[in-house]
Formats: sequence, C-alpha cells, structure tokens
Amino acid sequence: MDAVLRTQRRVACATAAPLAVAGGGWLATCMLGLSVLAVLGPFAWILTASFKYQIAIYSGAWPFTPTISNYADVLFGRRSDFLANVVNSLIVASASTAVVLTVATLAAYSLHRLRWPLWVSAGFLGWTLLFHMIPVMTLIGPWYVAFRALGLYDTRLALVLTHVTINLPMTVWLMRAFFREVPPEIEEAALVDGCRPLEAFRRVTLPLVVPGLVASGILAFIFSWNEFPIALSLTSRELATVPVAIARFAQQYETQHGQMAAASIVATLPAVLLMALGQRFIVRGLTLGAVK
Amino acid sequence: MLRSAAVELANRSFRHWSLLPAVALFVVLTLYPMINLVRMSVSTIEFAQGAERWRFTPLANLALLRADDVIPAALRNTLLFVAAAVSIEMVLGLALALLVAGVARGKGLVRTVMILPILVPPVAIGSMWKLMYNYDFGVFNQALTALGLPAVNWLASPALALWSVILVDVWHWVPFVFLILFAAVEALPVDVLEAARVDGATRAQLLRRVMLPLLRPAIVVALLFRSILAFKVFDEVYLLTSGGPGNATELVTLHLYKVFFEQNQLGYGALLSLALIAAIVAFLLVGRQAVRTAQG
Amino acid sequence: MTARPRFIPASLATLALALSLCTPASAQKPFVEVGRQPPITVLISSTPWYPAFEKVVGVYEDQTGNQVKLDVVPFGGLLEKARNAVRSGQSPYDLLMLDTQWTIEFYEGGFLAPLKEIDAAFDLPKEVMSYGDSGYWNAQKRWRTAEGGKLMAFTVLGNVQLLYYRADLLRQAGLMPPKTWQDVLAVCAKFHDPPKTYGFAARGEKGNGIRYDWQSVMLAEGAAVVKDPAAGDYTVTINSAQGKSALDLYIDLLKRCGPPNYGSLGQGDVIQLLATGKAVLGDVVTAAFASFEDPAKSAVVGKLETVPLPRGRGGAAGAVIGNWNAGIPKNASDAQKKAALAFARWFVSYDAQRAFAQAGGIPDRTDVFTSDLAKEPRLRWMPAYLETQKFAVQELGFAEGAQVEQVLGLRLNQALIGEMSPGKALNTAAREIEDLFRKNGRRTGSLPPLPE
Repeated sequence: MDAVLRTQRRVACATAAPLAVAGGGWLATCMLGLSVLAVLGPFAWILTASFKYQIAIYSGAWPFTPTISNYADVLFGRRSDFLANVVNSLIVASASTAVVLTVATLAAYSLHRLRWPLWVSAGFLGWTLLFHMIPVMTLIGPWYVAFRALGLYDTRLALVLTHVTINLPMTVWLMRAFFREVPPEIEEAALVDGCRPLEAFRRVTLPLVVPGLVASGILAFIFSWNEFPIALSLTSRELATVPVAIARFAQQYETQHGQMAAASIVATLPAVLLMALGQRFIVRGLTLGAVK
Repeated sequence: MLRSAAVELANRSFRHWSLLPAVALFVVLTLYPMINLVRMSVSTIEFAQGAERWRFTPLANLALLRADDVIPAALRNTLLFVAAAVSIEMVLGLALALLVAGVARGKGLVRTVMILPILVPPVAIGSMWKLMYNYDFGVFNQALTALGLPAVNWLASPALALWSVILVDVWHWVPFVFLILFAAVEALPVDVLEAARVDGATRAQLLRRVMLPLLRPAIVVALLFRSILAFKVFDEVYLLTSGGPGNATELVTLHLYKVFFEQNQLGYGALLSLALIAAIVAFLLVGRQAVRTAQG
Repeated sequence: MTARPRFIPASLATLALALSLCTPASAQKPFVEVGRQPPITVLISSTPWYPAFEKVVGVYEDQTGNQVKLDVVPFGGLLEKARNAVRSGQSPYDLLMLDTQWTIEFYEGGFLAPLKEIDAAFDLPKEVMSYGDSGYWNAQKRWRTAEGGKLMAFTVLGNVQLLYYRADLLRQAGLMPPKTWQDVLAVCAKFHDPPKTYGFAARGEKGNGIRYDWQSVMLAEGAAVVKDPAAGDYTVTINSAQGKSALDLYIDLLKRCGPPNYGSLGQGDVIQLLATGKAVLGDVVTAAFASFEDPAKSAVVGKLETVPLPRGRGGAAGAVIGNWNAGIPKNASDAQKKAALAFARWFVSYDAQRAFAQAGGIPDRTDVFTSDLAKEPRLRWMPAYLETQKFAVQELGFAEGAQVEQVLGLRLNQALIGEMSPGKALNTAAREIEDLFRKNGRRTGSLPPLPE
C-alpha cells in the first residue's frame, strides 16, 4: 500500500516538464496567443455589444457611446426575472452535475474494471450512445406527459433528472476513457496489498482520474447550464433557466441584441465561479482522501 | 461495528450497486421515449376532438422518406458539415491541449478562457455571429473594407454559407475537444513519459509513439461525442441561415425540425429521426473502419 | 408551486402608484364589469408589443382584482408549449396566444373550446376587426369562416406589412410615396446607390420570410396559390402568368434595389437596414414602427412614414395578415374557461383597446383607429394600417399550410438567388403542392406548366 501511495504521490508531485512536448519555444507561445485571441475576439465583440444601444449594434458603430442600460434592463428591469433565472440554473446545473458525475463515474468504473459480461457492458454503453443520438425534440413530448403524470411538471427535480439523463452517456464514456488511461498495475498492487475493491477505487484509482473528473464535471455543468428545449417545456416562468430567459430576447421580428449580450455576459460569471469552486471541491476531496 | 458491517456490505456488493443507479435511471427515463419514438416512426398520428389517433402505417412513412427530395441535399450538407467541422475541431483541440499543457504558469486561467465559447447559450451565439457576418455592418466586412478588400457575402452566398456556418461551429466547439484532451494530457502517467525521454526520444517521437497511444481512449471519446453533437447541430444554423440560401445549408436536423415540429408530422418526423440515428451509426462505423485500415 | 408575487408586478406597481395618489385602486370603475374570477395563466410569446400587453393586463388586474399570470416564453418555444398544454391532462394555461398560422392545427384538432360554448351570450363587438375571420372555424368546410363557423379565438394583435418610406428623402427629391409596385421600382432606382444606400429592402430569406412578403405582391398581381379553398376547390394556380409576373417583379425589386445579400434578408435585417438609414423603402411589419421612433434603436426617428403596400399592375391591392389569436384550451377547467373569457370580454372593449394602443400595442377595434388617437404623431401609422385591413387577407388557411409554406419558402428563394428560373420554381412548387393536396384527398388539379 505504501509503495502504491508513493508512486502516486510521485505522479502527483512530478513537474510539468515532461508534458511540455509542444510547449516552450516562441512558436508555441505565438500559436497559443493567437488561439486565445481567436477565442476571445468574438467574446469581446459580445462584451462590447452589451454596452451598446441597439442602433450602435445595428450600425456596427466604432467607437460608440457606452451605456449600461442593457445590464440595468436585464438585471433590474420591471419585466426581468433574470436573477431568479440564474439562481434556477445554478441549482439545476450543480445538482445535475453532482448526480451525473457520481452515477456515471461509478458506472464507468464498474464497466471498466469489475468484469461485467460483454452483453452488460457493451449493451449499456451502446444504449447510452444510441440515446445520445436521438434528436431532443422527439424526447420532449413523452417526457412532458410522464412528468405531468408524476406530478413533477414545473419542478427543478424534473429538470435535474432529465439533465442527468441527457448528460449520462457522455460522462460515462468520458470517465471510462480516463479510467482506461490508468495503468492497471497500480490498482492491482493495491488489491494485492489487501485493499477492498471499494477502497481501491476510492483511494487509488479515483485520485488518478481527477483531471478527467474535473473535465467531465465542467462539460456536464455546461451542457445542463445551456440546455434549452427541455427546460422550456418542463417548466413555466418562475422556474425558467438562463437559456430560456436569454432566448426571450430573440423576439418575434427583432432581437434585443444588447440585452441578449448583457445577459450572456452576466450569466457567464456565476457559471465560471461555480465551476472553479466545484473543481476545487473535487481536487481537495479526492487528494485528501488519497493521502489519509 | 455497524459501520464496518456496512462497509463490508458496500465492498462485497460494490460491483452491483456501482452500476445500478445508472441503469435504473436509464430504464426509467429513456425506455419510454425510445419505444415511443420507434412506435411513432411506423404510425401516422392525427388529432381530432382533442385526442390523438394513431394508425399503423409503416409503408406510408417509408414512402414519404423516399419521396422527400430535400433529404439528399440535407444529408450531403450534414456529412460535409460534420466531417469538416469535427476534423478541424479535433486537430485544433488537440494542438491546444498540448500547447496549454506546456504552459508553465496560469494553466487554470488559460483553460477558463478557452472554454468561454461553450458557456454562451447557442441562441446568443447564433444571433451574435449573424450580426458579425452582416454584409453592411458586420465586423468581418468592416475589417475587410478597412484593409481595402471587397466585402464578402458570408451568409447569402450559396458557395460560402456552409463554410461560414462551419466557422461558427469551430469557434463554439473547439473548447469541448480541448477540455477533454487537456484533461487527458494532464492525467498522463508522468513516469512513462520521463522514461521515454531518458531513453532519448525526441519531442516528435515522444508525441507519436508515447503520448498519442496513451491519449487514444480520450481522443476516441472526444471524436465520438463531437461527431454525434455535430450531426445534431441545430440552433446556430437555424438562426444564421435557416438552411438557406436555397438548400445550401439545409441540414438533416433543420429538415427534421420543419417536418416534426413546424408541420406536426409526428410519424414521418420520428422516422426521420431514426434515419438520422442510422446515418450517425453508419458514419461512426465507416470512420472506425477507415482508422483501422489506415493503421494497417 | 403556486403564484408568487413576481407574477403580479404590474398590479403591485400600479397599486403602489394608486396608494401614493391616495386613491384606492378599487375606486376605479372597470371598463367592463366581469365579476370576481379565479386567477388565470396566459401563455404568450416575447414580442415587441409584449410590454404593451403586460401594461394593459396590469390595468385589468387593478380594475377587477382578478389575477392574470403571464408566462412569457421565447417566440421559438411557444408552439411547443401550447401543444404540450392541450395534448394531455389538464392544461396549465387558460389562454393561449397562437400565431394564426398555427391556429388551424388547434381548431381542427379540437383543442380549443368554442367561445360560445363557454358562455352562449359571448360575442365580439361589431367594431372588432375580423382579420379574415381567423378566429372562426367551420369544421365541415375545414375552413376559417364566420359563415357556419364557430368562434374559437379572438385577435390580440393583428399585424400587416406596410410600406415604410423615408419621407424626408422623398420630399427632397419631390417624389410621392409609391402607390404601385411599379412606382416602388421607379422610386427605389432613383435612390439606389450601393453600398451607401439601398433603394428597397424586403425579406428574401428562405422559408416564412420570402413566402410572406412575396405573397403580397402575388395578391396585388392577381395571382393565387389555390383556386378556391373556401369552396373546396384546391386546384393549384400558383404557376399562372400572374404568379410568374409577381415573382419576376419581386426578384427585379430585390436585385435592382436591394442589398447584395438579398437572398438571406430576414425581418430583423430589413428593420436594421431601415433603422440605420441605409434603406429608403422597406416592406416591414406594423409592429416595428415604435422601434423606428426610439432613438436608442433608430437613426431615422421621425423620418419614416407608412403607406399601405402598393397595388399591382391590374390595380388590385394585396397584403397578408399575420395576427396573434387567443384561444381557450378545451382541457382547462370550467371555472378557468369562464375566467379567461371574462378577460377576453374586457380586453376587446373600446377602453381597453384604447389603453392597449396608448401603451404601444396595435388595437383590434376600428373605433380606436378613427378616434383622436390616430392624430398622435407616434401613432401616425394608424391610417395606413386601417386602409390595409380593407383588403388584407389570410393566406394558406388549410391544414397543409405549414408544408405549403416550406415548399414556397424554398422554391421562391431558389428563384431569387438564381438556382432556378422563376418559371421552373413555380412549376416545381405547383407540382409539390398538388401532391400534398392529393395525398390528403383534396379535390385538386393544376395549370399547364409555365415555360421554363
């Protein structure tokens, strides 16, 4: 057990040097800088639009007279529920992410390491993949009927359950891929040392896939955060989420671009913060557990 | 005492309870919609007196599919869209993952910046890019004109529209590939890489012989899910071009939306969904075969 | 979850205002006595006129003490929610706003309660415009008509396209606003100076956009998609000589006077071109007028005027109505249905419609248009609108409407961008539409094809 932990700590503590295959030189720095610019360019454009009057957005005016009226309208407008929408989204996205990460990680580990017969593992993985291919618009009708019948229409629980379901396929497959990256010897050594299966999973394997957990968690969070058609159909105004609220700015005939941009920017901040918190939680929780 | 008994039980039945929640969730929440979809695809559904009437008409739906002359163009565009967008995204995503992994400080910050595009709701991405592509006032044409170049008809030119749409998709989804592959690079067993380096491997050899094989599972999953999502792309294209001009950017999902949703043809729409799924499966199988053949 | 205070902000705000003026809200006499009613929930889309509707609903709440919960959803999501609501269980909504294009599905499917079945005494006042009888459904004829039809819905907002023109520029050039499409062609050519100024803008984008805008020209040129659907004659007549000349004219207008991206122009783009002062003439919805008068959204405040859409070569006028109708779901409870109808009775009253117009909505009563309100500068579109209602019609009012729209939306766009000759586009569309009708067992037929 000690030997395993030592290996592990060495893994965790090793410097990033060997990873720097493509890093280093000025060419790499240049390319990275360009990529950051390419990503940030349109985002910065959205940011400037959020400070423009509609007419300045229409005419592509530059420079322009800045205004905070879009933000004021989004946050404090008489018609606005935007802060409530953000809270709804935060609750739904973090709850569904926590659940899907737990459920999918267990399932992925189970399928990867615990010797299920092929029909179970291939069957389940295939099923999730097929489900993931279904266009969401065909799922909404049946889900609406089902959740109405269960009395769960217009509840956050309905959104959490459906978001867990739509994110499960990707999370299971991703975590399975990350588990496959872990050399089996490490865990086998732990089992030989007398670790029980659950302990081996919890203390040895799981800490090694922390980057994978973080990435899967971020993706599950974002997919839930931006999910539109289901959130629209299963809730009414008071439980509407951020994408539903933002889509309201795409009115019939004309889009309120300034408000839409402001709302998109406002919504990004809590999402980024929550993802950072969630990441810290995962990293702390699992590395502490590993050393104990 | 009780606790250790519980731990004992948890350990002994770990294999079973670890898989149970996922399976239970899927049985409860996906079985009904999936069966319903198949049932719809062989039916004609009409509404009268406030109730649904189902008729079993598998052949009629198939005949509709065969006679639908939007399908060939939609399928061609979809395949081109998926192939082009996904391959560009995979290459850029992998390159970025390797680049960022090599950054000495501020990795977390760079990663946060890189994933900003997937945080923006698709409806906002579509609306904002439509403005940026605007012929008269868009930022791209403003830049071109400032450089003394002619303005470009980004969304109205049949030859260019699909590529304009692909560019938006690339901006939107490179972060997805990057995020997965960056995590995979970070999780690489460092001692293996170090050993290879000690053995005198060059950077290129290290990448090709050691890292890429180790990253394979993550690359495959990123490719798999990116492909599926690309087949299902909808919001951005709908907002940017609605499939036009002509059929230049018509995609299977846009057509499906018109049939299933706007025209309320539930039976034929369901069949079209199944056809889309079949196309995705075929694409993935062909892709896998191609990779295997290429690897000899 | 039951209604939280957030749903009645309008009433709270007005209540606060009323209290501050030391006048109890209850002292206000309702426009129409409707009695105490249970709270109702309304499904409505976000549109430029939504704030006006919300304001009027606030007045209703204050006057009657009855609560109205507004579930405002994105335009792209309304139909889905309306369908879900009526297709199973009890409807979560008591009043559904439906674009007239969608109403056929709800009428024919039996999802709405005929208003007279809720209260036999209910009728729309004679001043309420009929909008091509879009609220009526004759189940035998499968057609929207008051003749033998039942009243299923009332119009909340009727929209038509108007021809917007830059009054300042035309005056300077000594030109009159166009009366015919030929005038448009002549006037737009005078101003067309790309890329600085475009003479004319209308929708060319695939789908609803080009279909809707082109049909006004089609009607003015005396063409029709179908011979006489009201009488059950579904002979397809779109590839007539008149249809062809309407399409040639439309393509001519956009190619000669439109921006280079005419093949992808949507309503938002046309509004953008007018608001920035880039276009001199434009074919745009009435509901956009208020935006052009808002300095935050427009560089041409006070400069745009409206006239009814121009006439064709034969002197006929044509405009297509696109209105929002409100219907009451059959699967709402009886008490809820009555409460929704009570709101309807109140809403179509003169005073309520007047308040709606003042708040920025488009009223549906002729007497509001002929009142002193029409003299207000910001409502100066009213005469053109009222004039248009005399000849505006509903189009594609049959069950196959959405499919016919897809056919036309694609083929017209292909002709516009030059992928197909106009003759071939219309022949193709005619064949496809005839197939749709034949499949549904309609009495149909077609004209001899145009030369391609």
